Amino acid sequence: MRRFLTIILAIFIITKVMVMASVKLPQPEKIVLKNGLTVYFLKNPELPLVSFRILIPGAGTAFEPAGYDGLASLTASLLLKGTATMTAEEIAEALDFMGSRLSISDSEEYASVSGECLSEHLPRLFQITAECLTQPTFKEDEYQKELARKIDSLKAIKDNPGAALRQYFRKAYFGDHPFGQLSSGTESSLKKMNLEEIKKFFRTRYRPDVAIMAVVGDLDREALIKILNQTIEKWARPETPPLPTVIPPLPAPKGKKLILVDKPDATQSYFALGAPGYPIGDRITTRASLMNTLWGGRFTSWLNTELRIKRGLTYGASSSFQSWKAGGLFMASSYTRNDKIGEMLEITFDLLKKAREKGFTAEETESARNYLLGQFPQTLETNGAKASAYLRLIYYGLGLDYYDRYLQEISSTKPEDLKSATRLLPDRDFVLVVVGKAEEARKQLSRFGQFQEKKITDPDF
Amino acid sequence: MPRKTGLSLFLIFVFVLAITNMSEGAFKKEDIKVFKLDNGLKVILYEDHKIPQISYYTFFKVGSRNERPGLTGVSHFIEHMMFNGTQKFGPGEFDRLMEFYGGSNNAYTSDDLTAYTNWFPPHALEKIIELEADRMQGLIFDPQVFESERGVVASERRMGVENNNEAILQENVRATAIMAHPYHWDVIGWMSDILNWRRDEVIQYYRTYYAPNNAVLVVVGDFDSQKTLELIKKYYSSIPSQTPPPPVTTEEPPQMGRKEVVIKKEAQTPSFMVVYHAPKCQDPDFFVLSILEKPLLQGQSSRLYRRLVREEQLAVSVFGGLEEKIDPYLFSIYVKPRAGADLEKIERIIDEELNKIIEQGITEQEYQKALNIIRSSFYFRLQTNSGKANLLGATELLFGGYENLFTMIDRYASVKKEEIPAVAKKYFHELNKTVGKLIPQGGK
Repeated sequence: MRRFLTIILAIFIITKVMVMASVKLPQPEKIVLKNGLTVYFLKNPELPLVSFRILIPGAGTAFEPAGYDGLASLTASLLLKGTATMTAEEIAEALDFMGSRLSISDSEEYASVSGECLSEHLPRLFQITAECLTQPTFKEDEYQKELARKIDSLKAIKDNPGAALRQYFRKAYFGDHPFGQLSSGTESSLKKMNLEEIKKFFRTRYRPDVAIMAVVGDLDREALIKILNQTIEKWARPETPPLPTVIPPLPAPKGKKLILVDKPDATQSYFALGAPGYPIGDRITTRASLMNTLWGGRFTSWLNTELRIKRGLTYGASSSFQSWKAGGLFMASSYTRNDKIGEMLEITFDLLKKAREKGFTAEETESARNYLLGQFPQTLETNGAKASAYLRLIYYGLGLDYYDRYLQEISSTKPEDLKSATRLLPDRDFVLVVVGKAEEARKQLSRFGQFQEKKITDPDF
Repeated sequence: MPRKTGLSLFLIFVFVLAITNMSEGAFKKEDIKVFKLDNGLKVILYEDHKIPQISYYTFFKVGSRNERPGLTGVSHFIEHMMFNGTQKFGPGEFDRLMEFYGGSNNAYTSDDLTAYTNWFPPHALEKIIELEADRMQGLIFDPQVFESERGVVASERRMGVENNNEAILQENVRATAIMAHPYHWDVIGWMSDILNWRRDEVIQYYRTYYAPNNAVLVVVGDFDSQKTLELIKKYYSSIPSQTPPPPVTTEEPPQMGRKEVVIKKEAQTPSFMVVYHAPKCQDPDFFVLSILEKPLLQGQSSRLYRRLVREEQLAVSVFGGLEEKIDPYLFSIYVKPRAGADLEKIERIIDEELNKIIEQGITEQEYQKALNIIRSSFYFRLQTNSGKANLLGATELLFGGYENLFTMIDRYASVKKEEIPAVAKKYFHELNKTVGKLIPQGGK
């Protein structure tokens, strides 16, 4: 999965970064509906398909009541489980019958609705979407089913060390900050979960006047407006003003926080190492993306070269920056045989030090620039990718010309700019989580400091 | 089993297709240009200038199907070694140059084929052609790099199989259901083989299968066909063709009774699957079964999802179906049971649902649904240059010619709803069935 993961991460980073002159994101039309929902539209007649996205700020995990991990995710999934006129089965049948896709998911800052279908089916798909957003029934039995599924998925996560690592890391890094809320839920949060809290979250958080929507595909503006009038526009704006959506600045670790999670049957140990990144739109974005490309962001990165290509310690090693409004995160991760985890971490720390001290050569810098430029066009190739890009640029206030501006910036970035971005790489203050067979890993890890130990079978993360 | 990507379920999704009412200017057979070089290399070109990008895919007709005991996993290993140095470009140079020119790449190996996939800006075209032509014949298999890469593949196996309960079960079930045909083993190969491949045997395997007459090149994107063909000729023409590889002649004998494999392992939740021997992808029955699989287990409205997940609440998820293979493979039903679920009851319900189809077939609504799913997922895939390249190449290798891509919809639409019960009966019976269970031990 490594190379694809890298590409996905690269897309994530690059989307914020630049576009080649010939690959400008086409300007969408802006349509404002009576309920306050703003819709961005681009016609693309190439294939008989339409994709759409709706972003609902404030309906993500960071806005769950503390301790109710998984509430935003349960809210999102229950929306497709019954409306005033359709049962869960009828919704599933209608969507499958068209061969269409409709999902509602949560991330930290917002919930998003994502759909695509053959153009001929768009009226029906919008009708179903509107019903799910306006008249969900939140039936008790559906809630119980979703909750049970969530509890089982949590168990499956603990059977998979790579998946478990992400949850342990998030809790360790963000702690009580709203970003420490886990979309997967935890054993304790799912125990105290209740439907009333979910309904309340939906009532106060899902609202058209803060939401933004993008539609890209094979239809005309007039046809779209007509369908929207009959469907999504009926999503009523609540009387009450929107709740605040401000998130406190992300925490920054002070000193080292080291955690070892014992999974006795693991044949490999997995690590995640994290430190503060930068908020979206920060001036350092381009430099940091280029720097990360070289350090751990692509196949020939320093990290992957040392851990995989030269030593064969792992199938893949990579690093990435993730950014939100309230701040960002740098994270490096990989995995290897239990008896090699110490060596792997040693090399990782050496590479961080080397980057901070020496920076990158002119040739490396040129290569990173070419790479980000060359890989960009395909990140906006599909209707869905364009729709997501519009919402991202609008939500984060980057402006629809953001990619164009970055083109300039990326082309003029120099090795010394990359060197300056290495200040973001973990040095003395970081969080390091290892999931593996503690009996084998423990001794090798002691040289990095005192690890707090947890058992994977203990509840929560 | 990709070099840099996860398990090769990739191909399951490659092949649900349909083409009706394609609009003007869309992807048409007439716009595809095909050439064959004197050394046997087939070249398929499709120009698409919407974005400044090219998808350059090379397909070799070799996969784990061509292996033998002792050399299992070697096709996938060579996929890895293809990035590790030739006489002209030393170890690591391929990736370094690729990325310097703004390109990225991946590769995957399945039971039947190995594909090398590059995505890059148009200005890099000649360099990529040079690199690809070079590694078709010039790999050096540097002994030190060979050992290091062996470690990478071992790690990939530990991650992909040994630390993944579903994958462990799948490997066991496959090996139990298929006893004679090389589909017996997984693409990654057995760990003891991974640890013991000999360099000379690997080189011999590479020489046999990596030849222009055993390969197909598919290029889709922003280029000029005539100029591109000239460049391809310039770099590939001097590569000699080889004696065609020996055919795979082993046939799986008919199964003569229900088989079951039980794994006991530390886990919090059980795993469960059922497989039936199924036809090869060029068999007419394949199309009938692939219509049937959609109402049976695709999506939350499918019969098995409704029964197992919604009504009985025995499972978290259900998925599976056919895979497109050159030789007969399996129809798989994967179930992720809830903790403590009654696995025998799950099996009974699957039997009941299959029997209903054998007795009553599927409804008109279900039949239309299957065709809609086929059509929409086909278009979703055609949105990208890489999607087009992958479909063209896989159709060429698995369905006996890329042209079949453009009539595939007719083959699906020509399946009559009434044919379904008889075909279901032919495959979904007790003698043809293998059941796999992973039962948690210890832990909670």
